[in-house]
Amino acid sequence: MTRIWPWLCAASVALSLFMLGLLLALLLTRGLGHFWPSTLEVATLDSGELIAGEAVRETALPQRDGKERLYFTANRDIDGARWRWVAIDSIASRQTPTKLLRLQRGPWGDFIGYLSAYEDGQQRLEGEAAWQALATALAAPANTRPPATLVLETADGQLIRQALADIHRAQRPNAMHPGEKLRYWAHGVWQFLSEGPRAANTGGGVWPAIFGTVLMVIVMSVIVMPFGVLAAIYLNEIAHQGRLTRLVRIGVRNLAGVPSIVYGVFGLGVFVYGIGSSVDQWFFEDTLPSPTFGTGGLLWASLTLALLTLPVVIVATEEGLARIPDSQREGAVALGATRLETLTRIVLPMAMPAMLTAVILAVARAAGEVAPLMLVGVAKLAPQMPLDGDFPYLHLERKFMHLGYHLFDTAFHGDDVQAAIPLVYATALLLVTIVLVLNLTAIFLRHYLRRQRGQPC
Amino acid sequence: MTCVLSTTFCDLSLHHAITMTQPPRLSSSAPRTLAEPRYQRPHRQRLDRLATSVITAGAFAVLAAILAIGIFLLWESLPLLAMDDMALINSLSPLAWGTLKAALAAMLFALPLALGAAVYTAMYMPARQRTRIKPLLEMMEAIPGVVIGFIAGLILAPWVERHLTVTLVLLVWLPASALVAGMLWHALHKRWRQRLPFSSAALWLIPWFALMVLLALWAAPLAEQYLLGEDLRRFLDLQLGIDYATRNAMIVGAAMGFAVIPSVYALAEDALSDVPPALLEGAQALGADRWQALWKVALPAAGPGIFSAVMIGAGRAVGETMIVLMASGNTALLSASPFEGMRSMAAAIAIEMPEAAPGSSNYHMLIFAALLLFGFTFVVNTLAETVRLRLRTRLKRMGGGA
Amino acid sequence: MNSCATSFLLLRRPVHAISLSVLLMLALTSANAMASPVSGTLSAVGSDTMAGLILRWGEVLSQRHPDVNIQFQASGSANAPAALMAGTTRLGPMSRQMTDTERQAFEQRYGYPPLELKVARDALVVIVHRHNPLAELTRQQVDALFSTTRECGADAAINRWQALPATRDWPFGAISLHGRNSASGTYGLFQQRALCGGAFRPTLSQHPGASAAVAAVGESPGSIGYAGYHHLTPNVKAVSLINADGQAIAPNENSVQNGDYPLSRYLYLYVNAPPERPLPAAEKALLDLIFSPEGQQIARSAGFVPLSETLRQQQADW
Repeated sequence: MTRIWPWLCAASVALSLFMLGLLLALLLTRGLGHFWPSTLEVATLDSGELIAGEAVRETALPQRDGKERLYFTANRDIDGARWRWVAIDSIASRQTPTKLLRLQRGPWGDFIGYLSAYEDGQQRLEGEAAWQALATALAAPANTRPPATLVLETADGQLIRQALADIHRAQRPNAMHPGEKLRYWAHGVWQFLSEGPRAANTGGGVWPAIFGTVLMVIVMSVIVMPFGVLAAIYLNEIAHQGRLTRLVRIGVRNLAGVPSIVYGVFGLGVFVYGIGSSVDQWFFEDTLPSPTFGTGGLLWASLTLALLTLPVVIVATEEGLARIPDSQREGAVALGATRLETLTRIVLPMAMPAMLTAVILAVARAAGEVAPLMLVGVAKLAPQMPLDGDFPYLHLERKFMHLGYHLFDTAFHGDDVQAAIPLVYATALLLVTIVLVLNLTAIFLRHYLRRQRGQPC
Repeated sequence: MTCVLSTTFCDLSLHHAITMTQPPRLSSSAPRTLAEPRYQRPHRQRLDRLATSVITAGAFAVLAAILAIGIFLLWESLPLLAMDDMALINSLSPLAWGTLKAALAAMLFALPLALGAAVYTAMYMPARQRTRIKPLLEMMEAIPGVVIGFIAGLILAPWVERHLTVTLVLLVWLPASALVAGMLWHALHKRWRQRLPFSSAALWLIPWFALMVLLALWAAPLAEQYLLGEDLRRFLDLQLGIDYATRNAMIVGAAMGFAVIPSVYALAEDALSDVPPALLEGAQALGADRWQALWKVALPAAGPGIFSAVMIGAGRAVGETMIVLMASGNTALLSASPFEGMRSMAAAIAIEMPEAAPGSSNYHMLIFAALLLFGFTFVVNTLAETVRLRLRTRLKRMGGGA
Repeated sequence: MNSCATSFLLLRRPVHAISLSVLLMLALTSANAMASPVSGTLSAVGSDTMAGLILRWGEVLSQRHPDVNIQFQASGSANAPAALMAGTTRLGPMSRQMTDTERQAFEQRYGYPPLELKVARDALVVIVHRHNPLAELTRQQVDALFSTTRECGADAAINRWQALPATRDWPFGAISLHGRNSASGTYGLFQQRALCGGAFRPTLSQHPGASAAVAAVGESPGSIGYAGYHHLTPNVKAVSLINADGQAIAPNENSVQNGDYPLSRYLYLYVNAPPERPLPAAEKALLDLIFSPEGQQIARSAGFVPLSETLRQQQADW
């Protein structure tokens, strides 16, 4: 037995690391791979039908041997569907024509097919010239584009006309060399980070969600830091270290283990329904029944999360305070400093790294929380930023978007999960990156500062 | 001065402290505004009292906020007392069962991995490696629940349904393959054993596991065909009458277990590495090998700490919302089958709370569910914390005595 | 610990102080916001089914009037009356009609009924895996599949694919059920129309979103589910329903628009519109867009079925 158990213990470490690595690798490849311009192909079926699209995945057929392949065929305006399952043994041949074009368009989603002509009022261009004209037109900013029309041809020869104004991007992935693909990829990543969502959250980027998350976290830190630090100072420096203080300390630590959804319930019941509705009745009676603060919003969400992260801040700050040797305080007092002076000149500067760690940990916790936000103010789509140029600039009553909720929403509430999953991967990767970077910063900060102090880590 | 930990921080701050507490007669020539000795003391003391009361007020505000949560939940679930008991029990019991089932499944998955990992890192890993691996494992805690839930609900669950045999085989084969690796290792030539020392087994086992997963992916379907002659799901359904739901307790257990591992691991590892080395050395000097020393000495000594780690993990598993919401199928069933779904209290609150009109009986019931969650986690965590603190003092005593 | 009661007040005071100062600032500027013709924030709470629709209308609306913005919280139709009642929103998109109790509660609270508008047509479709040979179901069969009560008059529950003649050879035994969670209008409507008001089986997987339910059915060949018409993807197949006359009706644009398909429905938008006050410009602009031909075309591109021309014109001046 004494030989078996150690191996099983080693295996648990290896397995945990293996799972973590698998998860991160999955997020990385799928999240970043989504922006890579993938090869388009034209498949000729045994029946003679032509299908143009991107091969997405394959699964086994349920009833007989063999596999079927899912093609992303786009062109929802023409045949009403974006996807097509094809049994692999019914495909006669596959080609990858270089002229095959993929357009990202406004209302109907992507188009896959050929560019037949480019018409801009004065002239009609065909063939390679049309593609050149389209590329130049799309390179210009959206509001300076000419009012042109494209004539597009699907793989099976149907012609449609498409206004240039509705087109976001165009690519011919089969004709691109790796350098171009990389540039296209980088541009895609940048658009994802910097643009708002399109077409009911099934396309476009996540900028409002990033912004909302960051803003909410900042407001939360502004609320939680003073209270958390005051409470920690009280517990460590002022309170009589008796049974009661110990009890309170345990209580505070335990709050960190209370499920976040409970905080959400509290926020909804007390902040939104309780305080919010009364505030509306006192100050915003003229806009009722449209609520101002009587509905979930940035302020209530930040307050709820502040409450949620309070124990994190208190515990981390107190840890820092407890590490300061008493001799420091005694020295200050011996020199005639009052308690406030000891605090502001000796204790707080020394506890600064701990407080910094506290705020980073709180932010990392808050950035990843979704459950309480679902109750107190996150919105599926809130293009109106809570921070803008209109006085008073910061609109605490507005709803906001949040990366975590955006992920949940795109994955479960969208029109088409299949289409949304790559975006969900990208969002998940972004969220994980943000939270991991914050946590790593906290770890390194603590490690570095403690080492600098010569304290044990 | 006694600024032993000489840093810029304490140097500076002490310097300030000194300048400002210099005798008043010098300060008449200094540019400080607090020049007049007669006014300095009362002003400083008033400021000090003010600050103390501000701090106290802040602390009490925090305390009040904490109490307010409990009071609010209690107050809002009071109207339930007037309600029909049976209706309440009927609607809450599947939720309570689902919560426990999900937590149990998560603990079954997480405990062996977390505790095993804690034992290995605390007892076998070289200190240098340990400082790298430990934060890495703790990093798992930072992965948001919504991400894990998405992967579990939309990616893992359908995959497992398609590859049920592979999954079940892997559950058994992966731990077994570690033993196979151990046997192979013992059979290896000494030179190789030095190159792949046991102390870094946690790292070189990772590629081994990757290989084993590939092997299972290849071999399991063949074995399925050979042994059962048909699909395992079909076999379960036709021969054993077992239903299989895509989103089930097994998936939730794995996903939530993944989320719980780091918190259990971190606390258990702390408890184990707090055991004074002298105790272990003593045992080994008496002829015990490393595992015996661990099993007979370190584990009993760190037992309460490990218990509190398990409790904290259970508390986390009970309250986790997004993972259960996304990966459990939300079926309000009272079944114990690992292949069927469940509905937990936290998930029910997240889905139904915005819909419940304030004051309705459903609203009060959901708040009562929140109160249950609050109460349960609070009690469990208090227990864990008290045990942990008691252990700490005990170990200090032991370490001091040894 | 006797200071707890007072300290509770202490907590609430800073909260008030923060919000009040911001509120005062906001109150000062609200007059400015009123000046520009069409501007403002539309906030809507309600049907998850209609999220794509409302958001697409919102996108077009904010293209036309850059100062108009739309916020949408999609959490299920049952949330719309609650939010309208609680005053947390003025627009309540619902995928079913308000019940009498909901309507009465609203009237009691505000003294006038909510403005009810039909904005598009949709249908509930029963879906199976794309390779499932099942083509049509009677009402009793649907009930026998999904409910424990069998209010529609089926003789026995259907638990296995082998119990249906069309799927006797389908190599999957037990049927797994997928649908929406109880907060959604889809759940309520399916219960009312397809189960004759009976109770769902507890084994129904209640997904927090309709597209998740469709994806689940598309992933697992042994399952059946229901979802909105516009959520159909090629992963799943919509089953025709046999109506009272014995005809099998497939869900398509025609049969949904003229109501032949048994589970077709209108999608509603409830507006909290006090009779004595005119509607704010932003809300008015949204309604104008919805009942324009273009608005109905947008509904089509989102996968819904547009209103019939007569109904659209009838409601154009709501």
